[in-house]
Amino acid sequence: MAEVILKEVGKTYPNGFNAIPAVDLHIADGEFIVLVGPSGCGKSTLLRMVAGLESITSGELTINGTVMNKKEPADRDIAMVFQNYALYPHMTVFNNMAYGLKNRGVDKATILKKVNSVGDMLGLEELLDRKPKQLSGGQRQRVAMGRAMVRDPQVFLFDEPLSNLDAKLRVQMRVEIRQLQRKLGTTTLYVTHDQVEAMTLADRLVVLNKGNAEQIGTPLELYERPATPFVAAFIGSPSMNLLDAKVADGVLSIGANIRLATDLSFNKNVVWGIRPEHLECLPESAPNEDADFILTVQAVESLGAETLIYGTLEGVETIVVVRLSGPHSPELGSQMKLKAPSAKWHLFDASTQQRL
Amino acid sequence: MIENRPWLTVLSHIILLLGVCAVALPIWIALVASTHTPEAFVQGVIPLWFGDHGAETWGKVLFSAAGNGVDVPVWFMMMNSLIMALAIAFGKIAISIISAYAIVFFRFPMRSLCFWIIFMTLMLPVEVRIMPTYQVISDLSLLNSYTGLALPLIASATATFLFRQSFLTIPGELVEAARIDGAGPWRFFFDILLPMSRTNIAALFVILFIYGWNQYLWPLLITTDDAYFTLVMSIKRMVSVADGAIEWNSVMATTMLAMLPPVIVVVGMQKLFVKGLVDSEK
Amino acid sequence: MNVTFPHRALPWLLLLPQLAVTAIFFLWPAEKAVEQAFYQEDAFGLSREFVGLENFIDLLTDPYYYESIVVTLIFSFSVAFLGIAVALALAIMANRVIKAQLFYQTLLIWPYAVAPALAGVIWWIMFDPSIGPVAQWLKFWGIQWNHYLNSTDAMILVVIAATWKQISYNFLFFLAGLQAVPKSLIEAAAIDGASPIKRFWTIVFPLLSPTTFFLLVVNLVYAFFDTFGIIDATTGGGPGQSTKIMVYKVFDDGFIGLDLGSSAAQSVILMGIVGIMTVIQFRFIERKVQY
Repeated sequence: MAEVILKEVGKTYPNGFNAIPAVDLHIADGEFIVLVGPSGCGKSTLLRMVAGLESITSGELTINGTVMNKKEPADRDIAMVFQNYALYPHMTVFNNMAYGLKNRGVDKATILKKVNSVGDMLGLEELLDRKPKQLSGGQRQRVAMGRAMVRDPQVFLFDEPLSNLDAKLRVQMRVEIRQLQRKLGTTTLYVTHDQVEAMTLADRLVVLNKGNAEQIGTPLELYERPATPFVAAFIGSPSMNLLDAKVADGVLSIGANIRLATDLSFNKNVVWGIRPEHLECLPESAPNEDADFILTVQAVESLGAETLIYGTLEGVETIVVVRLSGPHSPELGSQMKLKAPSAKWHLFDASTQQRL
Repeated sequence: MIENRPWLTVLSHIILLLGVCAVALPIWIALVASTHTPEAFVQGVIPLWFGDHGAETWGKVLFSAAGNGVDVPVWFMMMNSLIMALAIAFGKIAISIISAYAIVFFRFPMRSLCFWIIFMTLMLPVEVRIMPTYQVISDLSLLNSYTGLALPLIASATATFLFRQSFLTIPGELVEAARIDGAGPWRFFFDILLPMSRTNIAALFVILFIYGWNQYLWPLLITTDDAYFTLVMSIKRMVSVADGAIEWNSVMATTMLAMLPPVIVVVGMQKLFVKGLVDSEK
Repeated sequence: MNVTFPHRALPWLLLLPQLAVTAIFFLWPAEKAVEQAFYQEDAFGLSREFVGLENFIDLLTDPYYYESIVVTLIFSFSVAFLGIAVALALAIMANRVIKAQLFYQTLLIWPYAVAPALAGVIWWIMFDPSIGPVAQWLKFWGIQWNHYLNSTDAMILVVIAATWKQISYNFLFFLAGLQAVPKSLIEAAAIDGASPIKRFWTIVFPLLSPTTFFLLVVNLVYAFFDTFGIIDATTGGGPGQSTKIMVYKVFDDGFIGLDLGSSAAQSVILMGIVGIMTVIQFRFIERKVQY
């Protein structure tokens, strides 16, 4: 049972740089939380603050009700998997996994039993006598996970553990990590910059931007109801189309020429968004009045199962992406009639950046 | 090489063999000289082939006395040289590795000042400040002692730099992993840093052993008691006797014996030696 | 490296041995040398008198000191030049014969392990006017050799002994440097029609210039300070002043001549020279290494 609570946890460096203003996060026992955001958003710093590798300068961190702010990493009952694995190069796989147990004074027989059982679980039985040098990238990754698991900690911390693997292995390990975590039921905090990884692994996601938690929620919540344009742009691939717009007297206007009817009653400058997969393409024969706007095609990416079409709208500079299923091959420079169903709109206040 | 010119390869071999011979020639002469009686030299030039008194001379210098005014046998001085060389090599490695550890893995005030103080030792070779250093040793009454032979020579900027360089390449994640695994600074040093530095330590050991063994001026100055004579410095005493009275056979046998241990170390541990030499100058 | 251990006293404890040895056996004597350089002390150390810069002025007006500087320069540059040239030639050859490389390397590197004093004595016996085979051979060609009496002969002897010892060191560095020259460059030059000799002078040698410069500095430092044993064991600085290099003169004036003030002043000058050379050496290295 491990519940991790961050209460207004923040970090200010000695030089005055405020990397993390204040993060509130309540992680339930057994939950898989992913911290996601672009590089430099403070996600690794936050993870390392939970680990005890970086000091917490304000707020309070508790694990299982115990305040951990001043505790040494070794005394927090956590285990961490590092981006570059950080395996001890001169030790065998067995000793790498056993080192933390030895330091805690666990007796030899127990160490042997635990390392062997984790080794079996991860398929490392044959490799226990090898040195890290003699292992492939994927195997090293497994050993790093084994080292974390063998200690049976309250919390797992992962710092971009898959970023050094090739694409195929990454998908495979992703699935494995998720299965193992379910099986072990250990509370997990996982850092990544890859939103696909984040969406597929997380029970809940924390999207960080400049040290602030922009939104905390399940992957679907974030996809369906992003709280800010930042989250909207970050979650989903390709990114949501976001355009500056204005709502006035029941009309949403984008640029000089586009006017969409709406039942919104306020008058405001907004950021209007729609996901590429929610734009509908009307047949060429459809009358122009049926279309919400006309897209001039500039580039086409055919991926087989789907087609991404990039183009511009009249009077708008931002490139708009449309995602259609199946193969399509519109001519470059040709015009497409698009419809944007109002049920799929996302609207954000242009000044507060909050969802409306 | 690129074009197939056999004569170039042959020429290369010839030049290399000439080089090898030129380098080895003095050793050959020294070896030959050690196998003749002293009388052979009185009559004229050193013969170019071995005499039949080799075993006799080598036995005498090795086990009874080196001769020419040095009354202790070579094996005895070898022990002194060995003690000094090992003390210097291990002492330098030990204090350098912990200094480098402090400088790389800790942050404390005046860290760079410490670094520069260690650096300054490079600028003060013992030959340059010989008089005052002698006075210091004499004030501390360390003349004629093993401590006096080794201790003043064990500060080492070069070894500290070498360890510092290799420590800087150790990823920070490894230190963090060790901290999470419950290893404090001492555990980290003994369980991780020391085993990871094995090759560097061995390579450095080869270089420093030679350095220690070959010390000349320092032992010459501070030992007047032949109980502390080292092998290399004893040569000076042996050739300082009156002109014409030098027993060249004993001198050469002693010389050969004095160069044998470090040469064996270099040739036997060639790979480590080359690594140590190249790394410590980088 | 950002990752460190959060301790305050421990690093001092770790640095203590090195700092203590440095302070007692390096900084204190150096300070003493600087102090003594400004005093005139009698030979028994009973009394001393502050004389300001007089020791330095005496030195700089002493023709023997100038002679010592000239001797040092001739000796050092001869050793450096000869050592580098011979080692480079051997390294180029060794780099051509890939299969036998280790064999030649083994046979060429061992003189590094020979103590300078021993090298001096061995070469002395080779050139000894009465028993040395080389002296004999020279006599056969009509050249009278006597390094006991002839200044030039004595200088040649110590230069040969010092160079002999240093060749192995230079050889290893040149070999490493040659092996680091990208093969594709040589091949490109060959395709451009450059002969092996031309390739060496236009491609390989310029690429080796950092190594050469580095070795020049190291060899000069070696000849300045590490050759004490060679001089002391063979010529003892003689005949006259002809092989009395500066490092030897410090010792000679201090221990034999018991002129402590002058010896200390010479030490101070030498420390300055080592300082400059160390800085040059490190400037060169710093380009590769960041503190």
